[in-house]
Amino acid sequence: MEWTIRVGRYNPEAQNMAGDVGPPYPPPYEAAPTKVYQTFTVDLPEHAVVLDALIDIREYQDETLVVRCACRSAICGSCAMWINGHANLACKSKLKDFTKDGVTTVESPPSMPVIRDLVCDMNPFWEKMRKVSPWLENKQPVPQGEEYRVPNASMENLIQEVACIACGACLMDCESFAINPDFTGPAALARAYRYADDPRDARSKERLEEYSGPDGIWDCTHCFECVQRCPKGVAPLDQILKLRHMAVDAGFTNNPGTRHADAFAESVRGSGRLNELTLLPKSLGLFNIAAQLKTLPSAFNMLRAGKLPPIIHHKIPGLERIKNIFKRVGGRFQ
Amino acid sequence: MILDHDVLVMGAGLAGMRAALEAARHGASVGIVSKVHPIRSHSNAAQGGINAAIGEGDSWQTHAFDTIKGSDYLADQDAVEVMCSEAPSDIIELEHMGVIFFRDDAGKLGTRAFGGASKARTYFVGDITGQALLNTLYDQILKAGVKVYEEWFTTSLYVVDGACRGMTAIDMLTGELHLLRAKALIVAAGGCGRVYEPSTNALICTGDGIALAYRAGAPLMDMEMVQYHPTTLKGSGFLMTEAARGEGAYLLNSEGDRFMKKYAPNMMELASRDVVSRSESVEIAEGRGTDGCVFLDVRHLGRDAIMHKLPQIHEIALDFIGIDMVTQPVPVRPGMHYIMGGIKTDVNGASPLPGLYAAGECACVSVHGGNRLGANSLLDTLVFGRRSGAHAADWTRAAAAASGPAQARETADEAFLTAEQQRVQALLDRPYTGQTHARLRLELGTMMDEKVGVYRDEAGLASALEKLHELRRLYESVSVGDKGRLFNQALTFALELGYLIDCAETIVHSALTRKESRGAQSRTDFPARNDTEWLKHVVVSRNGAAPKPTIGFSPVTITQWAPQERKY
Amino acid sequence: MKTMPQKSAMKVAFWPGCVSKGACPELYASTQKIAEALGLDLHELTSAPCTGAGVLSEQNPKLARSLNGLTLAMAERENADLMTICSTCQGVLSQVNHELTHRPELLAETNSVLAENGYEYRGTTKVKHLLWILVEDIGLEKIASLVKRRLTGLKVAPFYGCYILRPEEYLGLKERPERSTYLEQLISLIGAEPVEYHGKSKCCGFPMLTFNRDVSLKMGGKHIVEAKQKGADLLVTPCPLCHLNLDGQQPDAARAMQQPIGVPIFHLPQLLGLAFGYSPEELRLNRHVVGTDGVLAKVELKV
Repeated sequence: MEWTIRVGRYNPEAQNMAGDVGPPYPPPYEAAPTKVYQTFTVDLPEHAVVLDALIDIREYQDETLVVRCACRSAICGSCAMWINGHANLACKSKLKDFTKDGVTTVESPPSMPVIRDLVCDMNPFWEKMRKVSPWLENKQPVPQGEEYRVPNASMENLIQEVACIACGACLMDCESFAINPDFTGPAALARAYRYADDPRDARSKERLEEYSGPDGIWDCTHCFECVQRCPKGVAPLDQILKLRHMAVDAGFTNNPGTRHADAFAESVRGSGRLNELTLLPKSLGLFNIAAQLKTLPSAFNMLRAGKLPPIIHHKIPGLERIKNIFKRVGGRFQ
Repeated sequence: MILDHDVLVMGAGLAGMRAALEAARHGASVGIVSKVHPIRSHSNAAQGGINAAIGEGDSWQTHAFDTIKGSDYLADQDAVEVMCSEAPSDIIELEHMGVIFFRDDAGKLGTRAFGGASKARTYFVGDITGQALLNTLYDQILKAGVKVYEEWFTTSLYVVDGACRGMTAIDMLTGELHLLRAKALIVAAGGCGRVYEPSTNALICTGDGIALAYRAGAPLMDMEMVQYHPTTLKGSGFLMTEAARGEGAYLLNSEGDRFMKKYAPNMMELASRDVVSRSESVEIAEGRGTDGCVFLDVRHLGRDAIMHKLPQIHEIALDFIGIDMVTQPVPVRPGMHYIMGGIKTDVNGASPLPGLYAAGECACVSVHGGNRLGANSLLDTLVFGRRSGAHAADWTRAAAAASGPAQARETADEAFLTAEQQRVQALLDRPYTGQTHARLRLELGTMMDEKVGVYRDEAGLASALEKLHELRRLYESVSVGDKGRLFNQALTFALELGYLIDCAETIVHSALTRKESRGAQSRTDFPARNDTEWLKHVVVSRNGAAPKPTIGFSPVTITQWAPQERKY
Repeated sequence: MKTMPQKSAMKVAFWPGCVSKGACPELYASTQKIAEALGLDLHELTSAPCTGAGVLSEQNPKLARSLNGLTLAMAERENADLMTICSTCQGVLSQVNHELTHRPELLAETNSVLAENGYEYRGTTKVKHLLWILVEDIGLEKIASLVKRRLTGLKVAPFYGCYILRPEEYLGLKERPERSTYLEQLISLIGAEPVEYHGKSKCCGFPMLTFNRDVSLKMGGKHIVEAKQKGADLLVTPCPLCHLNLDGQQPDAARAMQQPIGVPIFHLPQLLGLAFGYSPEELRLNRHVVGTDGVLAKVELKV
């Protein structure tokens, strides 16, 4: 079958290539030659994947096309790239699923610095991984000449993260990272969870304190993009939520995230509904005057538009049921 | 640029990282040079597990015997003893590093069954054992702060006065070629699976370490012993782990028969790999295959067991040929998987070339002999990675610096770097010839699969050799279609093709030399094992510039297990 | 509150969510309007609790399952599909429903809590956002027949928000991938032109608003600016929480982005309502932070 592939090309060494001009890469790359899209046609079977097409182009049409790949079977994590505007593994993306209006577009993700063509600089990704101290700090005493005795369930609990192949697809499409480059990011936080919840680790508590700090677990925007992007079912967001849970249980509650949850629960418990009016101030911390002041212009705008919620927050009928539920399973929110 | 370390490690898979970690623990300044990021290494593809005799009722001697029997008595028994007796402590150490091994009900390490083993002694993490180990070792490398030169492609080893003193490598991100000097170099660059097409191996498994050591003068051993894995996926050749059969999968022919009952009535599907691959080949050749394949059937294990214990192969079958293993058997065929042979070393990983060590698939200690047992390769990387790291670090302390006055050495080093830069530049500058590395690589691979596969004979091997001579001649005219510096893959692929051809030649010469059938070498013209004449290793060394290597032999070390007939 | 059922009315158990009863009353009002036109018989679950918006489920999944299990049981008792008008409510209810219908032990656990309150959930409720009901149950043909005012010349950027698209397995996108194109289909149907832009399926920033205000504002601002650069006159969203951030915080987002924005954000029923011939006042298009006059003038309407 014939397939059409549109490839984002970029080579800071070369003169601009022929092709339709694409958007510039973000700084500091805007000064380099523009990114251009080149269109190739390849003849491949129905089950072929995007990587087959790229290898075919590289081998038989244009040896200057640069793409990282090794295993071809979604194990090595080399070939994450943007395919039709989202990060995917090229070796796992079938052409027939990604051909849109007769063409599949591949390029280096704009969220990462580009080196050449489909090869981006993965250092931001590796640096984040390093930042979470991703290694076991052995609980003492280390058993002599034998293994730690731990339940199998506690190991199986970690296998979801251990399946991470560090392809970086989650980070490439992470919206929090796109806005805040210092955000630790989905894969690294998932790895952080893997060690924080390892029964053999001695530093769990210190880890939770670290990860609760700036650019950590509370800076995830909870958008499920990483869950969607992950080719191995790691579901980084799920791991981040587990970390949040653990951090709160360990007493690291002096942060907007926990206050937000507490205020939220208080509102639902008290009235059955969310009360937007009290949620924001309570989340920021009632004595965090600077942060409170920052929200005033918005509040004023909303008030002027008649958009502020009713000052008297109505309780829902049958509130007793809700109170009962909180009493029964509300845990910390009772 | 010239960079210095006490110990350099080429390759960042399990063997390389384990070696680097141990050398660092022994106080050496260590640098790892890898053409891909460590996490991308091919060790991640090992699915099933890692062997050790830890459990009650098992002993390292039984493990050693299984290994030796599996090797068709070609393994050196002193080396196997080292590997099997040290296996338990290495597994425990991995557990202490954080590997999340499967546990039994008591919370102790639990096992699964594997091919060729008389006891269930394979420790595992789902079907991603290699990946789990690789991740953990990489985390340990980060913890230890070992310097990693990621995406540096090695172009040559540096030999001074008959000793290995480092390497030259291209930093892919800049295109610069650098000299990295060291007192010892550990080659842990993996196998040469891409000599064959198809192969279960990643595209990066191009025998760089084997070929460069060979060029540097180190002898290669057992190169004819190429393992065909019995269950590789139809078409792409992806690996379908032996753990499937360990968990109870059947192999069926086109008539729906569990044909292994004819070939290995006791062990059935769990006979050693060479036996199962040959059985499949016979079934297919005699017309009881379908499209050149037999079937791997796990349906009777049930959805839960499949999704729980074999999720990765379930996903691979679904993704790449659209088959749901829960409801359908999947077509598989024997496919090139592993090379038992490699750089000849002693039990400390030291090659006969001073300063040069090797560990992992590129090395030949020899613990696998004619046929490697499943789940022994991860073990090999760890035991001999550790041993070579320790020995190399200790050796560097004792090793004299390169001879001659310092200034003269600097000049010589710079001259070597310049000469290497010129050699690579000449390849890059070669004018357009129309000859591409990709075409030759494909031709090489399919030819090797056809003529140097499961079954071999004199005529086929001779014609393979002839074809190789032609390919080598054509290789001299390959031009590089990319003249840039940054991440020039066309250049590294062309260099890799040179490594592949070297490996192929040593494989074919070794296969021609061994006039018997043993382990993975099945000669239809010499169908029987011949212990009187061939209970010895074939050793090949480079013979100057001549295409034909010098061929020698090395005795097999027998300690306590006299060769017997193999029955499964 | 109930609308007058029309001939061949479709009955739904209606969960309006807290925001349409709080800071976005215009969503509630405009939903009532178009329901009338579409013949949707809304049985509002007035005593159902807040879904917890994902905040409660991350901290206490059991609590979230119980609260949402109650809502699902209430809908079951109504013997009708549960309709949401909020992507976030949809996401949370879909996830809980998926858990309760796929994991018997969780259903049993939840029912033990509900039993004390006189409810039991049997696992039969389907949770559907208004957007899905429009396309899948009412049908584009019927909707087309109701269009009295084609919004020709308007360029409308769809903004889905996260929880109506992800995770796919809870939201039926694996079986119905076209659910990620319904907004565009409706925009075209009423004569407007959908604007294609990257941000349409990204996060609006609302969940971050209280944790990291600057990032939240830039997140929302970035998508609106992108849509504007691609020529959008307005954005339309099926999620009032996205609306709170994209409209309510837009002046601050503009400051964070250091550029003027000024792009009105419509709730889905407001856009449809306009096409169905309702007046901007009836749809409360005058109750937005970012004024809608400019856009309305383009289709010769004003507030």
